[in-house]
Amino acid sequence: MTEPSAPPEAPEIRQAETGGARLHPLTPFVKGWGYFVVAAFAMANNEGLRSDLTIAGLGLLAVLVGGILLGALSWWFTKWQLTADAIRVDSGFLFRRTRIIRFDRIQAIDVAQPFVARLFGMAELRMDVAGGGKSDGRLSYFRYDEAVNLRAILLYRAKGEQAAEQQAPQAEPEPLLVVPTGRLLGATLLSSTVLASTAALIWLIVATTVLEFHIGLFAALPLLLGVVQPIWKQVVGNHRFTLSETHDGLRTKRGLFDLQRQTVPPGRVQGLLITEPLIWRLLGWSRVDLDIAGVVGGNGGDGEDRNDGAQLLPVGERQEVAGVLARVLPGFDLAAIEMHRAPERAKWLRPVGWRYLAYGVDEQVLVTTRGWVSRRTSIVLHHKTQSVRLQQGPLQRRLGLANVHVDTPQGPTDAVALHRDLAEAAALLEAQADRAREARRTADSPAAVHTQPKAPSPDGSSSSAASPADDSSAR
Amino acid sequence: MDDLFAPSDVSWTPVSPKLATVRRLNAAITFGLLAIAGLLLFGMLMDWLYGVLALVVAALGFGWSWIVIGRNQRSWKYAEREDELLVSHGIMFRQLVVVPYGRMQFVDVAAGPLERAFDLATVELHTATPATDAKIPGLHPDEAARLRDRLSALGQAQAWGL
Repeated sequence: MTEPSAPPEAPEIRQAETGGARLHPLTPFVKGWGYFVVAAFAMANNEGLRSDLTIAGLGLLAVLVGGILLGALSWWFTKWQLTADAIRVDSGFLFRRTRIIRFDRIQAIDVAQPFVARLFGMAELRMDVAGGGKSDGRLSYFRYDEAVNLRAILLYRAKGEQAAEQQAPQAEPEPLLVVPTGRLLGATLLSSTVLASTAALIWLIVATTVLEFHIGLFAALPLLLGVVQPIWKQVVGNHRFTLSETHDGLRTKRGLFDLQRQTVPPGRVQGLLITEPLIWRLLGWSRVDLDIAGVVGGNGGDGEDRNDGAQLLPVGERQEVAGVLARVLPGFDLAAIEMHRAPERAKWLRPVGWRYLAYGVDEQVLVTTRGWVSRRTSIVLHHKTQSVRLQQGPLQRRLGLANVHVDTPQGPTDAVALHRDLAEAAALLEAQADRAREARRTADSPAAVHTQPKAPSPDGSSSSAASPADDSSAR
Repeated sequence: MDDLFAPSDVSWTPVSPKLATVRRLNAAITFGLLAIAGLLLFGMLMDWLYGVLALVVAALGFGWSWIVIGRNQRSWKYAEREDELLVSHGIMFRQLVVVPYGRMQFVDVAAGPLERAFDLATVELHTATPATDAKIPGLHPDEAARLRDRLSALGQAQAWGL
């Protein structure tokens, strides 16, 4: 085991390669603080016990000691180690469990700092494993610098660069852009959910007070939640959203209490989604989400953190969006792509929205747009296309229309060219299959990923550190 | 019109007509149970006349499903192109799926008891996204095994990472 007070990181990690290392000794406390608080609270609030404080004190003590004991046991039996091609985590004292995560299966690695962990300067390592569940690749807690260091090592190993592992933790990179809190707040207030909830809430208040129309104030609660929750999520969760570029890929950092870091490795991007709600469009704002292999947005179900999937930009101006897109897809210019609108007869199926149905193709991506209230622009890389589908329902058949779906791995992106002329759709299907095939053949050369020449890192070891950036999606 | 969902530059393989038999049998069981339940329910609660009516409705439903199942079975076809598997099906809701072999994650071969009794199996191709709906029902088990082996061989040969 490693002494918790051992200052240098490198020997610890070397040790972890041979014997297996334990996590930070304060781990059980940081993980279980809620439990202690609840126990204390329950004790303090229990009327029966309040009269007899000795019993309460003893009970609390027993709970505390038991909790500490359990936590300590769990900590003692949890060991991790780096093997030649995987990270191995052994845990459990009654039921032993060994989890082996192969480096080549790791899609992305984040260092997360939940609030309490942050107070103690500790951090959690989150590895996204393709096809794995939300908690499959979590390792907590480390000292912050240790976590950062380990993350760098794992990233290099995931890319097959054993040599680069001794590279010291890099300095905080220069941010490409920071989303101002004011804009974040404004954008949230003007988003469709909040506006709709606010309108409904106002109507409810007017209805109850002025019109004496008692619809029941219970309805106000979910509505209030609809107003407060997105604001909270955006403003707290995305506080000081910072996008920066490291040689491991683009990195995002956000959060007021729970600081979240996420790295988007080049070549792991499957697709992009640009969302522009109605009012945002007038202000020229939009949001950019990413599909990354292994990171499933939306339905991660993890409540506090992973609910945004891979967000590249919570709200940005047109120029920023264009800049970010150019980082992810070099040589890509959304404005330069010729968009083909859906035929007018689609209005029988989409009375208003048909005007916004369009698709466009260039040699790198397929772009589809749709939506009237909230316009969604999906961008799919040809060489990431999983399958192509041509679909037609009975009504579309009558109108001679068909949909073309371009499937990417699970994520926010949903590229579908809706209601195209049938012949055009069939041609698009073939063309898309051809393009995907061509792209797969040619994508061996590192295209479609950003390879930014990295300035020498502050600590002289840049010669080996710069090479992983050249490694792309190539397999 | 039809050839847009089944381009003629590849050779399409139809699925076994026995698929229709199995599905009709399935429909017969479902509608039979519905008919009995309807007959008893309406007959006991209201009037036996309504019970008989329910029986007639179920019979009509079965007749309709008979026709639909036949048409649907004839619509199922698949083709193996050099790099992609093509699956086309549907009359009301038509669909043509193009899946590159290299995108395949795994192949499922499944056969229910009824299917087994009629020597049928279903092959399903899975990619990294659940949206890919590449399923071929009504294959002879030998053909299903051949297809599975061929697909996994091709998938391995052309494998392309995420």
